[in-house]
Amino acid sequence: MTDEIEKDEERLLTAEYVLGLLTDQEAKAYEDVLAVDPELRLEYAFWAERIAALTDDIAPVDPPAKMLARIKSDLFGAEAAETTATKARSWLDRLGLLPAMTGGVVAALAVLWVINLYIPAAPTVTDPPVLSAPTLQAQIAAEDDSLIVLASYDATAQVLTVQRTAGQAPDGRVLELWLIADDNPPVSLGVLPDDETGQIGIDATLIPALPGGVLAISDEPPGGSTTGAPTGSVLAVGPMTEA
Amino acid sequence: MTTTADIEDMIARMAMGDRAAFDGLYNATSAKLFGVCLRVLGNRAEAEDALQEAFVKIWRNADRYRVNGLSPMTWLITVTRNHSVDRVRARKAKQAGSMDEAAEIADSNPGPEALAMASSDRVRIVDCMGQLDPDKAGAVRRAYLEGETYQELADHYDVPLNTVRTWLRRSLLKLRECLSHDG
Repeated sequence: MTDEIEKDEERLLTAEYVLGLLTDQEAKAYEDVLAVDPELRLEYAFWAERIAALTDDIAPVDPPAKMLARIKSDLFGAEAAETTATKARSWLDRLGLLPAMTGGVVAALAVLWVINLYIPAAPTVTDPPVLSAPTLQAQIAAEDDSLIVLASYDATAQVLTVQRTAGQAPDGRVLELWLIADDNPPVSLGVLPDDETGQIGIDATLIPALPGGVLAISDEPPGGSTTGAPTGSVLAVGPMTEA
Repeated sequence: MTTTADIEDMIARMAMGDRAAFDGLYNATSAKLFGVCLRVLGNRAEAEDALQEAFVKIWRNADRYRVNGLSPMTWLITVTRNHSVDRVRARKAKQAGSMDEAAEIADSNPGPEALAMASSDRVRIVDCMGQLDPDKAGAVRRAYLEGETYQELADHYDVPLNTVRTWLRRSLLKLRECLSHDG
């Protein structure tokens, strides 16, 4: 396949994805590549912006007056019942980091087509894809803002600078920072300093996992977790995003 | 007047749990998004449910918005349109299940008419769509605004599925070519 043909195929798959014409499996494979391929992401944005303009001639219609109150009662009534920690955990689950796929979208879908007969089914259109971009900063925040830590990674120094802008460790406890990448269990990056700002050196073996990773903060006994995994509540989470 | 930057800011604050920002976003965008739900679903009661669910998603996914590279209105429209299309498809699947022979009848219906062209001439896509055969442009709109699948398009235009896919893909490349000249 020449590059130009492959390029066209990528463009077509993107258009079909935006229009909702791919099957569920194809769309999933497309999203896996989209998550790790910045060029494909540009193509996706190109189509999504323009195709969404097809709604420009749709006239606004005021929804019923009680709608907002109904949505808020659904949303915040239910959320109030959840603790911050379970909320944060479910957020981690939802982020469900995608496996890094290489070889581009055409290759990924070609594999899919080889193993599946092309059987058109009404696919479920998914939300705009979750993209774990290669990135260098994160805002690690509790759902209710009771704890906010800003983290930025300096690739040259291999140091993560953390700045706590809201909240603190519960009395007699410490805050421990975790990196979660792909399907791997959380890896400790260390205990956060008592001071509002500080720096944490990043082990060279963990650096490849930073782009697209998720940082999380858990509540641990002094000195940090001794089990190698979070033992206390997950208080705050935040995906690494482009600086 | 709510600007793009305002909407972006409201989404960012929603990601941090700011409920007042949610009110602001709802007030600024719900009429447009309700229009989209109505257009896709063609039924007021269903559109109301879809809008409600779309805003729940928007609140819950506000933290994901920043990394997906879309402008804020495109993101909101995409979430709302996709959710509405999911509902349309779920409804069709249910109808297909409950009325065995209904597919035959439904397929013979002419379906909603060639949709009126967008009035807005500021958007390049309208020009580019206008350069496609009406059938092809109609198919793109049916897919996006009515959630039709290749199979449904094949039924509608009365051609084999592979044929519809081939001609639609050819048209999409043409559309891509035209759109890339919009500078």
